[in-house]
Amino acid sequence: MEPQLSWYLALSAVLFTIGVTGVLIRRNVIAMFMSIELMLNAVNLTFVAFASFFQDVTGQLFVFIVMTVAAAEAAVGLGIIIALFRNRESLDVDEASILKL
Amino acid sequence: MLALLFILFGAMAVGCALAVVAQRNPLYSAISLVGVFISLACLYVMLAAPFIAAVQVVVYAGAIMVLVVFVIMLLNVEHEEPRRGRLKFLVPVAVVLAAVLIAEVAFILVSVQEFRVNPAAGASNVGLTHSIGSKLFTEYLLPFEITSILLLMAIVGAMTLARRGGLLSSTTRVVPGAQQLPLTMVDPTAEPDDMTGVKTDTTDEAARLLGIEGLRDQSKRD
Repeated sequence: MEPQLSWYLALSAVLFTIGVTGVLIRRNVIAMFMSIELMLNAVNLTFVAFASFFQDVTGQLFVFIVMTVAAAEAAVGLGIIIALFRNRESLDVDEASILKL
Repeated sequence: MLALLFILFGAMAVGCALAVVAQRNPLYSAISLVGVFISLACLYVMLAAPFIAAVQVVVYAGAIMVLVVFVIMLLNVEHEEPRRGRLKFLVPVAVVLAAVLIAEVAFILVSVQEFRVNPAAGASNVGLTHSIGSKLFTEYLLPFEITSILLLMAIVGAMTLARRGGLLSSTTRVVPGAQQLPLTMVDPTAEPDDMTGVKTDTTDEAARLLGIEGLRDQSKRD
């Protein structure tokens, strides 16, 4: 039995949901960052699955660009995390409430 | 056979993803995330996308995760702080919402059975590097160039954010090339051949060390 397209979509949805759950329940900002990477990868899996099943290379190009954006996001996000840690001495996102009244 | 491989790699991906969320130590989360990336790369190979699989391993499991692990080691936070009671009620809410989302997607996948495209139809040169490259540099050249500008902005932004001393104020001027001053410039009693450097970040700091703060106030008034 060959894997169907819906299998890949279901797996991608499960991975995306795990990522959303991670962003919601984790406090550590690095763990939240990794959950966001997980969501990006889930979407990438959808792109590649559609590209393969529809025989169209455009989906894989999108994956390529998403990976570039993820790399840029990693650089800027980790820079923000370092600056946050320098100011707050903590990686807990609840500590970063300086804009809160 | 392919179904067995799919189940194997899919289960590995889901298990590692659950470990990413469940681990308390961020370093263990990072290692589990590498597991997710590797199993997704295997799935890409199964989907006839070898180039994307290679890029996944090189860029994601290689570069990005090394960056993340580097930051974890740099900040040296071994364990999460113990949770306080605040916002604790959000945990069951998050789990319930996640279950609802999974149920919705499962319903769509079960009820929609229109995707009956045969992946084996036609000569498959879709995932090869040649086809991706030729598309990328002809039809999708503009997104490619925009992506390169985005990367440049990310480089500048990361350097600005992570540098020590924070953002420069409008009155601060950094003297290029003079940030590493020889000791004799600061301390006249030092040996003339003592070339030990004094590190300063800003013009203000250099002026304070040199004892010429009055000069800067004068120039501010101009």
